[in-house]
Amino acid sequence: MVKVNIKGLSMRYEKKYILDDLNLDIHQGELLVILGESGCGKTTLLKILAGIIEPETGSIHLDNQDITNYPPQKRKVGYVPQAQVLFPHMDVEHNVKFGLEARKLSTDVIEEKLKWVTELMQIDDLLSRYPREISGGQKQRVALARAMAIEPDILLLDEPLSSIDASGREALALTIRRIQKETETTTVYVTHSSDEARLISDRVAVMYDGKVQQIGRLLDIDHNPKNYLIAKIMGTSNVWPVLYMSDNDKGSLITLSIGDIQLHEKLKTKISGIRIKPSSFSINTSERLSEKKIIFHGIIKSIIEQDEDNVRIVVDVKNAPSEYIKVDCSKEDIKIEPKTNTELTLEVDPSEVVLF
Amino acid sequence: MLVSQRKKTFERKALVNKFTIALAIIFLLSFLASFFYLPLIRIFQYGFSSETGNLAIILREIITDKVNLYSLAFTFGQALASTFICLIIGLPAGYFLAKYEFKGKKLLINLLTIPFVLPPIVVLSGFLVTYGNSGWINVIWKSLTNSSSPLISIFGTIEGVILAHVFYNISVIIRITIPAWQNIDYDQVEVSRTLGANKRRIFRKIIRPQIMNHVIAASLLVFVYTFNSFAIVLKLANPYYQTIEVLIYKSIRVSPDFTEASFLAIIQLILNSIIIIIYILFDRKSRQSAEGKESNLKTTIFQFSKQKWNIIIRNLGVIFFLILVGLFTFLPILAVIIRSFIPDKVGNSAFYGYQEFFSNKEISVLNANPLTLLGNTLWIAAISTVVTLLLSLIIVFILRSRYQSIKRYKTSKAESLISYLIILPMATSSITLATGVYLQFRNTSLFDNAVWIFVIISHVIISVPFATRSILAAYNRIDVELLNVASTLGASRTRIFRKIELPMIYKGIIVGGLFSFAISLGEFGATYFLAREDFKTLSIGIYDSISTQTMQIPLAMASLLIFVTILCFYAIHRLGEIELKV
Repeated sequence: MVKVNIKGLSMRYEKKYILDDLNLDIHQGELLVILGESGCGKTTLLKILAGIIEPETGSIHLDNQDITNYPPQKRKVGYVPQAQVLFPHMDVEHNVKFGLEARKLSTDVIEEKLKWVTELMQIDDLLSRYPREISGGQKQRVALARAMAIEPDILLLDEPLSSIDASGREALALTIRRIQKETETTTVYVTHSSDEARLISDRVAVMYDGKVQQIGRLLDIDHNPKNYLIAKIMGTSNVWPVLYMSDNDKGSLITLSIGDIQLHEKLKTKISGIRIKPSSFSINTSERLSEKKIIFHGIIKSIIEQDEDNVRIVVDVKNAPSEYIKVDCSKEDIKIEPKTNTELTLEVDPSEVVLF
Repeated sequence: MLVSQRKKTFERKALVNKFTIALAIIFLLSFLASFFYLPLIRIFQYGFSSETGNLAIILREIITDKVNLYSLAFTFGQALASTFICLIIGLPAGYFLAKYEFKGKKLLINLLTIPFVLPPIVVLSGFLVTYGNSGWINVIWKSLTNSSSPLISIFGTIEGVILAHVFYNISVIIRITIPAWQNIDYDQVEVSRTLGANKRRIFRKIIRPQIMNHVIAASLLVFVYTFNSFAIVLKLANPYYQTIEVLIYKSIRVSPDFTEASFLAIIQLILNSIIIIIYILFDRKSRQSAEGKESNLKTTIFQFSKQKWNIIIRNLGVIFFLILVGLFTFLPILAVIIRSFIPDKVGNSAFYGYQEFFSNKEISVLNANPLTLLGNTLWIAAISTVVTLLLSLIIVFILRSRYQSIKRYKTSKAESLISYLIILPMATSSITLATGVYLQFRNTSLFDNAVWIFVIISHVIISVPFATRSILAAYNRIDVELLNVASTLGASRTRIFRKIELPMIYKGIIVGGLFSFAISLGEFGATYFLAREDFKTLSIGIYDSISTQTMQIPLAMASLLIFVTILCFYAIHRLGEIELKV
């Protein structure tokens, strides 16, 4: 069921389009991650959803009701901005209660909801502390509790993990996930990190150029990115844009920045990029090179030990400065002694190449 | 429908909001227009009109008038010299205070600021007690050398004026340059050293460019203060030397020539505006470069235990220098308080001044009771503070609508208009301001019967820029996202103002209020110009009676002013930042 329907949203900043005819449906009860590089307009989208910024054109419907021109006060959205902004002159309790008091609820109801939400967020022992007295992770929990206390129709989170130190990140992400599922709150989660999307998303919307470019389940986008840029934003290893395509008698020849790839079939559609999984490579130690395979020559740049048996090798591609290939292999498979700056030949079966 | 009803209430609220802002703007503009801009226009009218004869000839006469030219040259010359000497003493003092760490350093910095925040008339009294013909320095000199000629002669000499100005303004240089030195990233110096730069090169290429903006901003401030100096020059140098301020005062109040006075006021206004605009540019630059930086200068602790003679001698030199600067700036203030307890005549008690003051006997030179002066001073300051805060809050309230415009990613027109409108009062000297008010209102019955109203108005216009700045400084620290969050939580605009904005700026409001109270308390120029014989405050009482034989009464009054002013600034210091700007 569609909870929020966004149609034709546009917004300019100094004549440049930040959002350009953006369309998006958000489903009831899902956690939608909006993934994009900084400056792609994802925060602007969030602020428009919160009612803080008015869009120039376009409409937003919440439960089939047009809320485009509603002020934030009338929207019932829970907004957690990127900077941890708690009211500095109020203790945690009053921060959390602020929205409830603004809605003029009775004292009993306020106390009841306060108890519920602070236990939910595990901050019930911090109530009398002031924002300056608690840690970054705790602040973010309080900000979440404050937003959740009003039981919002949509919860809007702007990079909620960005100002938390690494150790607290995963725990907070899992808390967000747990609470979102428990309360079935429709949530929009904005981030530039595909790792976070992997951790908690129901669906992912990849954004650039002011538009949602692809939306779907994370694995679907991972396996079937619409184009090279989306694959790159998803943080996939070993993706390269296609520079040039031509057909010869063997099949299609694809020119990449790391060299040419000869496919054994003719492609009917134009492709924007290719991906080769790190595990698809094998290291050729014999002198003979197979005609059937795609060959890359390179120099070992670094060797990263993954676990007892497996290593990831980063290979500098010969004739293509600043391009490198990541290769996953088990230690037994490497017949040579892996040392940095040794030369190496990689081969890949053309059927392993993912085109998009 | 519920939805349409919601929308209606929202639209009605938005309309009310717009209406209140419009009302506030109208109130502010009409106040500024009637008490500042119209008087200013009146000055221009007088300056460029003449009832008798050809305007061009009269203007040429004014411009080529020897007294005027001489005064203009003197005003510039003494301002330049004072600024220069302030820099020579203030820059090293600022550096040492930033560089060296010792007990009581903060106290010393605060003590150094005291002369600057005191009323000019108190500073003048301290100066007379210390350096006057029968002042302490000269008495000690005479008894040491057995000569009858004084060491320093401050009356009718340029040295006197410059000395007084240096003493008054040196803390501006020190206070502004201390953070400049502290902000220099010591890592940069170390990196340059590893790159092979020698000390001179490091100073030239790394340190100087980073402190230059601060130094220039501070110098411009000192220049503007000394350029607009009134009380000190009126008392010390008149009639041999006069600043434009003194000349304007005299050509209105002593030998009325409104055309000449207005023309001089216009010159004064233009020069001031130019300097203030340059100052604002440099101040912005120095603030930008200091933004978000923490103190990085590696401080040195005085050490004497090591057997390194050069270090010991250097340290002793620095300590001696700082003590000298401290004595120079603080001694006159101390002298006022001490001297107020030393009887002028044999038989008077030490508390003679205070007894006379609180017994409320009329002082013959003043034609007024001392407690009346105190009362006048206090209630004028109180009313000025209330009005100033009201106006400043209105200004901030109008600027608050910037929040609305952020919605559309545009800068508010009201904001830029207001910020321009308050620059001009900043650039107007108190005598120019008083001239305008006088020319505009002198023929009204209100001016004859209740001149105090105009005294209050001039105090308000002088302190509004200060108060607005301290409130705005607090307001700008509020993260807009806080207000965004509050609105998504359902709080209305008024609720946000009451619950979030007001609690977060109340310190700024108190600081602004204390500022305008302290300014009004010691204001001399405009008050003296407008009220003269009709209405007296403590400042004027001190000025009128200090030259008489009995020093104790005026110095007792000065000590009272010192006490209250220091109290105000101590409170400001505890709450926030002391602003040095005009």
